[in-house]
Amino acid sequence: MASFMRVVTAIVAKDLLVEWRTKTAIVASLVFAILVLAILYFARDPTEVSSFAVAPGALWVTFTFAAMVGMNRAFFLERENRALDGMLLTDISRSAIFVGKMTANLLFVFMVELITIPLFVLFFNVSVLARLPALLLVVAMATLAFVAVGTLLSSMVVRTRFAELMLPVLLLPFLIPPIVGAVQITARLLHDRPLTEMMGWLKLLGSFDIAFVTLAILLYEVTLDE
Amino acid sequence: MLLSAEGLARRFGYRSIFKNIGFSLNSGDALVLVGPNGAGKTTLLRVLAGLLRPSAGEVKRNVSVGLVSHNSMLYDALTAEENMRFAARLHGTVSNGRIETLLDRLGMLRWRDERVGTFSRGMTQRLAIARALLGSPKVLLLDEPLSGLDDPGTEVVREVIVEHMAGDGGLIVVTHQFERLSAVATHVGYLVGGGLQGPSTMDGLSADSVMQRYRSLLADG
Repeated sequence: MASFMRVVTAIVAKDLLVEWRTKTAIVASLVFAILVLAILYFARDPTEVSSFAVAPGALWVTFTFAAMVGMNRAFFLERENRALDGMLLTDISRSAIFVGKMTANLLFVFMVELITIPLFVLFFNVSVLARLPALLLVVAMATLAFVAVGTLLSSMVVRTRFAELMLPVLLLPFLIPPIVGAVQITARLLHDRPLTEMMGWLKLLGSFDIAFVTLAILLYEVTLDE
Repeated sequence: MLLSAEGLARRFGYRSIFKNIGFSLNSGDALVLVGPNGAGKTTLLRVLAGLLRPSAGEVKRNVSVGLVSHNSMLYDALTAEENMRFAARLHGTVSNGRIETLLDRLGMLRWRDERVGTFSRGMTQRLAIARALLGSPKVLLLDEPLSGLDDPGTEVVREVIVEHMAGDGGLIVVTHQFERLSAVATHVGYLVGGGLQGPSTMDGLSADSVMQRYRSLLADG
């Protein structure tokens, strides 16, 4: 367990350091998030559609696509100079490599989401302060599900041509259930509905988290075979 | 015995890269494999390192391996030392002193704080060799280890190889430049026509005679 955690923390620290140095993914994701929010804001006729009606969908469309921009680079980093081979040569657990990459992606996507939430409040003029802890819980649960699948698929498509196109095509169908759940919960949160109304969706999100993370860890080793 | 291969074959789809390759490597053996482009030298090293599954046959090894390939396995955005530290954390048991010793041995100590992305081909190659040696592997697998190296760099790498052999290590090198590595070779093999000719010992063989045999095998097709 100690060596598992040592590998996970080494990979997370390395990925975040590389991102800190290059800033390629964070800048691309944030620019993308601002563009999506702006387009969705101006596409709405404020006299006919209230911001509360479109805000939950807008938030999750922004999160999903901004995260995808960042996730694309997760294994590109390892493809450069075949750095992944260097890890595979060291007899470390393949699961530890996956969990390390997934955790780094998770932190990266959270960072993008945390920066995006104030922008979302600004664009859509919705108050989330009172329900912020609950909103952050939903964000964390939905993000874990799609980052787990996204990291797995990123490791699969990285060796294909047109990998940047392949990831969204493969990932989006898997994202529909958790994103639908996240949108439903966010809509109820913004309307100050009681927590009991959301329990079903929260349990569904929790189930997706357990299923997606477990399957992704189990299947990762298969993606390493050439 | 450090490593052995039996009936090894590898295909990519319907294309056979090599087949029926068998040999064993003992402590102190330095097997140099020569072969033309596309003969499967790099693929064979990747199979021996455990990075590729063989399509048939098996590789037996109970010792750790270090691999230096065409790709450096280094991160361009990290410095030389950061790359070494990351690799050391994966190995788990490598001391800071060993990182420093290896950087110094490969002549990279003064560039320890420079990013790998700014390095020349030769500097990257030296660092890749230092990285491969980090886990103190018993078997070193080297794919064109002298490519991009100047004369002093070539000499350093030759010395490192000799030190590795002196420590009861084993070595498999694939190269086009047999002459530059003939001094360290104890065995030679010819990877031609999808199979391995040899390996045979270097006893009584000169670099010229090895290259002559290689050219005649190529001519025979």
